[in-house]
Amino acid sequence: MSRPDCSWATAKPYRSDPMGPDLSQVPAQGVAQAAPDRRGTLPRRRSPLLRKAFPYLLLAPAMVYLLAITLYPGLFAIYQSLFVVKFLTWTWTGFGNYSAILQDREFWAALGNTALIGAISLSLQTAIALALAYFAYRDPLIRGWRIVFLMPMLFMPSAVAFIWKLAFNDGRVISDLLGRLGLIEGNLDWLGSIWLARLTLIVADVWQWTPFLFIIFVAALQGQDQEIEEAARLDGASWPAIFWNVSLPMMRPVIVVAVTLRGIDITTMFTNVYVMTQGSPGGATETMSYFIYRQGFRMFNFGYASAASVLMLILTVVIAQTVVKRAFHSGKQ
Amino acid sequence: MASIHLQNIEKKYGAFVGVQNMSLEIADEEFLVLLGPSGCGKTTTMRMIAGLEVPTDGQIVIGGEVVTDIDARDRDVAMVFQGYALYPNMSIYENIRFPLRMRGIPASEHDARIRRAADMVELGAYLDRKPGALSGGQRQRAALARAVVRQPQVFLMDEPLSNLDAKLRQSMRVQIKHMQRQLRVTTVYVTHDQIEAMTLADRIVIMNKGAIQQVGSPDEIYSDPANTFVAGFIGSPPMNLIDGVAQDGHFVAPGVSVACPAHVRGKVTLGVRPEDCSVGGESAQGMVYGVEPTGDVTYLTVLAGTKKIEVKAARAYRSDIDVPVGITFNPAHLYFFDDQGQRIRGAA
Ligand SMILES: Nc1ncnc2c1ncn2[C@@H]1O[C@H](COP(=O)(O)OP(=O)(O)OP(=O)(O)O)[C@@H](O)[C@H]1O
Ligand SMILES: [Mg+2]
Repeated sequence: MSRPDCSWATAKPYRSDPMGPDLSQVPAQGVAQAAPDRRGTLPRRRSPLLRKAFPYLLLAPAMVYLLAITLYPGLFAIYQSLFVVKFLTWTWTGFGNYSAILQDREFWAALGNTALIGAISLSLQTAIALALAYFAYRDPLIRGWRIVFLMPMLFMPSAVAFIWKLAFNDGRVISDLLGRLGLIEGNLDWLGSIWLARLTLIVADVWQWTPFLFIIFVAALQGQDQEIEEAARLDGASWPAIFWNVSLPMMRPVIVVAVTLRGIDITTMFTNVYVMTQGSPGGATETMSYFIYRQGFRMFNFGYASAASVLMLILTVVIAQTVVKRAFHSGKQ
Repeated sequence: MASIHLQNIEKKYGAFVGVQNMSLEIADEEFLVLLGPSGCGKTTTMRMIAGLEVPTDGQIVIGGEVVTDIDARDRDVAMVFQGYALYPNMSIYENIRFPLRMRGIPASEHDARIRRAADMVELGAYLDRKPGALSGGQRQRAALARAVVRQPQVFLMDEPLSNLDAKLRQSMRVQIKHMQRQLRVTTVYVTHDQIEAMTLADRIVIMNKGAIQQVGSPDEIYSDPANTFVAGFIGSPPMNLIDGVAQDGHFVAPGVSVACPAHVRGKVTLGVRPEDCSVGGESAQGMVYGVEPTGDVTYLTVLAGTKKIEVKAARAYRSDIDVPVGITFNPAHLYFFDDQGQRIRGAA
């Protein structure tokens, strides 16, 4: 790099310096060192194109990774859903799979089961989490012990499913407990009745995921402006009235987001079904995910299974989008 | 409709003393103003009266009943919060209605009362809006309306006018005072604004660093300050405080020399209000430092020694700076404070 206007040889002071004449008194080195500092020692030579691309380059590895594990399988599923696939032979069928699915009674049953089990489970865990949050959020201890409530979420889902399988079916723990309480006689066949089987799935899901909602609701309540609660207190409101009239409406956006996340998760409920009930009795606990699994990996109708999962994806996105949009829209008015 | 007694109230936050050993008797139907610099414990005092904060020590009596252990909800106190504390999910109408609903007031009365309260604060046109769609001043007025819509035993108002423009503030001031006289509700009112304090108060409490400095009528506070803090806090511009030495009935400071009572001795502080100073004379000698015409009066600042003395001069007074000038202090209105800042009174 050559900097002609600030080299030693130049007796003239740096040209843009307003104190110019005086600098001739300063030793030459002083001038030479001072000048580049004033312009900034780092030359900015990056091309405009590179500068624009730079953020994307930084993001590229993560994006490539994410696209590879989400977008590629997604696109592959859409593509595959247009074929009848028997192992390596792909036969074009267009929307044949879709029209077949829409007439498949098992598909509609699975959709109904998912909606039913999901709705009951989600309502239960939301209600329980809200109730717990209401009683707990003013307690300073809760802050310190939050992690304890997260425990059920931290267990591996399949392990949890096996524990419940043991408790309900194989180990008969629940039956025994209920028997000792004098609520039932003998042993309950949890897989023998439609509603008992569904109940086991609901109980397992509520147990594992209520803490997730609880933690979020407690955080939302603790984040609320305390003065508002105090004002309500002075206005004569009881604690339940404050919660119902003031705190709960203010939590609305948080509740919507948390419940939507949970809802998406529940619609894809698989592990518990796979481990605990396998869809029995008579398909009464077969959820969408299990239906897709059965079509794909038991009956090897890969095209059919792909079409079902695409329908499932569309349904989930549409519902989630509507719920969130509506909740936030009316919240703003 | 209740008197309030604070008996040796104290509030500590860990080692920090927010309010110290405060005793105060507030008469029934009185309008009491708490005045003091930021952080002196005004809000804390209010919150203790409201029951939102439990005093570390001492007792609070409202209407003859010890309420120290009674929940905020059951004290029948209405408060305007410094930060408004409106319910963001409700319209202004519902906000004002909330205390009526919660206190079980018959629904048939609601509408009339809400409209009366809203009209009082000139908010009638905004009843359908949510608080988020109002300006700061409008929110403040909504909070005020919510407090006055029911008839509580005590009003607590924490700087309820701080966000309003001068004109609205003046009209609201008159309105609050009128309303308080009409409803005859004991009121504790916090403000930074001296004019507000002077115009509204039956009595003013001056606080500093969590302690009461002086309690008195606006007149007493102004013309009979108990210490240098009160003297320097009240008045605009505030009282001139000049450190000097008094000996044999004479007070001397750089550029200042006046007669003083014989019992005033040693290191003392002389206090004199700008309006008790006049241009010309011998009490103080100095240079003109600045002249500020304000329309109805002209403020003159004189540099005497190292001390700047404010003088309220005639409206037409004009001068160049750095011109020598003499000032006369009105001998009937001189205040002397000892080296602790306490007022030296009488010939004690
Ligand atoms: N929760 C708290 N924890 C610790 N210190 C507090 C707490 N609340 C208030 N304080 C302190 O107590 C002092 C008095 O606070 P307060 O809110 O009463 O002041 P204020 O007179 O209302 O001031 P301002 O005019 O600014 O509203 C302040 O120094 C403040 O920092
Ligand atoms: Mg305050």
